[in-house]
Amino acid sequence: MTIAIAFGDLVKSYGKFNAVDHLSAEVQQGRITGFLGPNGAGKSTTLRCLVGLADPSSGSAEIFGKKYRDLDNPLSRVGTVLDSRGFHGALSGKANLKVVAAAAGIPDARVDEVLQMVELTEAADRKMKKYSLGMKQRLALAGAILGDPEVLILDEPANGLDPAGIAWLRKFLRSLASGGRTILVSSHQLAEMQNTVDDVLIINKGRLIAEGPKEQVMGGDTLEEAFLKLTGGALS
Amino acid sequence: MSLLKSEWRKLIYVRAHWGLLIAAVLLSALGTGVTPLILENSRETFGFGLDQQQAVDSVYANAISGYIFAIIIGIMLMAGEFRHGTAVATFLTAPKRGTVLANKLGMAAIAGILVMVISTGAGIIAGLVGMSFYPDAAEPSSEIFLNTMVAAVVSGAVLGIIGVALGTLIRNQMLAIVGALIYLFVIDPILLLLWPDAGKFLPSGLITGMMALDINSPELGFDTSNYLPALSATLVLLGYGVVFAATAIATSLRRDVE
Repeated sequence: MTIAIAFGDLVKSYGKFNAVDHLSAEVQQGRITGFLGPNGAGKSTTLRCLVGLADPSSGSAEIFGKKYRDLDNPLSRVGTVLDSRGFHGALSGKANLKVVAAAAGIPDARVDEVLQMVELTEAADRKMKKYSLGMKQRLALAGAILGDPEVLILDEPANGLDPAGIAWLRKFLRSLASGGRTILVSSHQLAEMQNTVDDVLIINKGRLIAEGPKEQVMGGDTLEEAFLKLTGGALS
Repeated sequence: MSLLKSEWRKLIYVRAHWGLLIAAVLLSALGTGVTPLILENSRETFGFGLDQQQAVDSVYANAISGYIFAIIIGIMLMAGEFRHGTAVATFLTAPKRGTVLANKLGMAAIAGILVMVISTGAGIIAGLVGMSFYPDAAEPSSEIFLNTMVAAVVSGAVLGIIGVALGTLIRNQMLAIVGALIYLFVIDPILLLLWPDAGKFLPSGLITGMMALDINSPELGFDTSNYLPALSATLVLLGYGVVFAATAIATSLRRDVE
């Protein structure tokens, strides 16, 4: 198996507090990996270090053996959803994506394609601030796949989605994964993650506490039961 | 070029930027349009009237008064990224921050020039209209229009760059804009009035110096012979641009993007 993403003794400190504490883990290429942990476990900080938005205090976070900043045309290799912000509320969904497309040298025609893929064509010209949370999440996903990347990094993409939205997201992620993409997705929706992911990577208080194929980590329990055992019941 | 194209789209897609351009045009046009009336009716206050060239030159020099909007657009181009959370998408698309900042500074300079050329042009036209009601007024000096437009171009570019630098340093858009307004409308004029020897090196003093005006109004405590010559003022203002641009790039490289 080829390693798509590797964390090597990653530390991110804020003052004396280690938000990420000597994290070493790997994500295999072509698989969906669930990145799990209680609130404040350091998931988002880890992902921000991975995509270069935060500088690690020490250690490394690499994609295909390189820092994100050193990837050529990173949008064509890695698509990222960190939160439903990231787009200008006063601009339409389409205009927001055209700004990103221009920066990455992607033709405007691709914007229409990805809007269709996330089923936002009809709302394309509506101002983003008038979108529901679910529509904002879909727009963020459209931004992530704009460059047709090999790797997707998604931080809580199911946040705020209703059951129909979650079902749509599961189908969408599966369709992306079937094309051989690597997906690293963080979420609190453990039952949903159990239906979606191949591998899991669990952290607590910035430290890795479990990693491997989903069935191996679950050990006969549900993912939620295994998670609660590993984290000492710290779900929230 | 792709990053510059993206920055251009950010500039033209956001309606607030068009609103600032309109405000700059209105301010400049209003400033030059009504100044002849004010000067003619307050001759004793100012110590000169429209029968003197320095008064007529000061009318057209007012056309440059929209420069505050160049700095605000610069601030919005950068601090707006943090306000709306678009900085994340920007730096994910182009993670080499120095390159992003260089393009943003370039676009802010272009935006500042456009705002200043359009608003100053509108101000000069309004001044011509205003002066047409005073057929006995003195003729303006031969170089006032060229000097004013050159000052508009240079100040627009530099203030746009300073705006981006402020947005990078402060990140809070409202705080950065209010700070810039307080500095340019309160602190800078006070320093210029109280300590003209130091004030002539500050942005307002430099912009005034660039227009090479020849105005002496003891009644207002205003004498342009104290200001730097136009070329020196231009170079010092460009120096401000270089220092602020370097500060913006250095700052953006060090800080995490939230």
